[in-house]
Amino acid sequence: MIRLMAVLITLGVLTGCSQVQPWERGYLAKQEMAWDSDPLERALNDHIFFSKEASSGGNIAAGGGCGCN
Amino acid sequence: MKKPASRSLIALSTSALALPGIAEADTPPLTSSLSYKISNYQEDELSREQVPFGELERYDIDVHQFQFISPLGRDYALFINANHENMSGASPWFSTAGTNGQPVINMSGASGIYDSRSEVSIGARYYGTRGNIGGAIGYSEENDYRAKYVSMSGSRNFNNDLTTLTVSLSHSDDSIFPSDAERFNRVRHENKRASSVAVSLSQVLNPVASFQTALSLTGQSGFLSDPYKLQDSRPDGKTQIAFANSLRYFFIEADGALQSDYRYYRDDFGVRSHTLDLSWFQNVTRSLKIVPMLRYYSQTAADFYTNIDDFLKPLSESQSSDYRLSAFGAVSGGLSVVADFGGWSATLTAERYVANEKYSAFTVDQPSPGLVQFTRLSLGVNYSF
Repeated sequence: MIRLMAVLITLGVLTGCSQVQPWERGYLAKQEMAWDSDPLERALNDHIFFSKEASSGGNIAAGGGCGCN
Repeated sequence: MKKPASRSLIALSTSALALPGIAEADTPPLTSSLSYKISNYQEDELSREQVPFGELERYDIDVHQFQFISPLGRDYALFINANHENMSGASPWFSTAGTNGQPVINMSGASGIYDSRSEVSIGARYYGTRGNIGGAIGYSEENDYRAKYVSMSGSRNFNNDLTTLTVSLSHSDDSIFPSDAERFNRVRHENKRASSVAVSLSQVLNPVASFQTALSLTGQSGFLSDPYKLQDSRPDGKTQIAFANSLRYFFIEADGALQSDYRYYRDDFGVRSHTLDLSWFQNVTRSLKIVPMLRYYSQTAADFYTNIDDFLKPLSESQSSDYRLSAFGAVSGGLSVVADFGGWSATLTAERYVANEKYSAFTVDQPSPGLVQFTRLSLGVNYSF
């Protein structure tokens, strides 16, 4: 499953990329295009779902634990 | 006299410099910012069918979050985070068969649980010509739990700054000292450790789209059981793998952006899960955004999950009736309104989460009667100066 997704993503990235010039990156610089556009909201959601579901982890290494899980 | 830079110019410059490729190097934030968010998290009461005796009420939690970010010189930034939570309510204690043979829940003590949690972390980051590197240390304390953790991460930009590779590491050392340990024959003092490594690759696809793929690996060891459950015994080690993919796409005609995040997760407790998060950022005016959000989550049960505790089974064999280890699906939806007044911004968020075995993408052999439904309201403010 993971291998299949990795292959699909790699193909998608390689075929979808173009040389975007610095002056063409205005939309990419908008706050809503950031990977983490609201850090406090993300931290709160991570904490809630870590407490109520069995899954955790993703694109950053986990922080400290809590008695909630 | 030197004229001060306008707020809009600073905001524009900050946005531009935050983007790899416009700046000649990664740069720290140009301005300091102070953020505060207050949230109320309220779980729905259980029904008398699910809990024949005792408390029906579940957790009610107030959360206060603070964040301070400041540039330090030309190449560094300082990050300080602090959180405080107050919680009250009750949680499932053990599970038995009801009169019809179906599982029913027995909740923790009639007087309920009152606890608070405080956390602080401080970090710094250096911004160089081709990337950045930084670290943080943190401390979290509750009446019955303490965590000390450290994390580090570094990013490097390639390919005319269209590609970014990030590696992050973290380690947490936790102590567990349950309340009323002697009275309820709970463990007195135990330890738990967790170490994580994550690697992510971000790629700008075109002027309106970027993509990120990431893999994280976490190893946990020590006391991983729930000391407050009557019959809970879990393995003393766990390895978790998460594979996450994110897409950001700006729709010029609609003046809105789609944030799409998908995660596949598995661990050696036997849990596998899919998580899909979708958010749409709609610019209504230059200073107002509305953001509807939708999330779907589904997991399999842990290998040792049971929805009726077997009290004849020795604790040397793994067993848990924790609803969080059962197979279920969950749907949540929310709406945020974001108002931006130059240096100030405010965000109001409402979210509703409903977990149910009927929403599961996987086979559910033993549905849990303890699944959670909750409502969350948040108000956040941010001041840049």
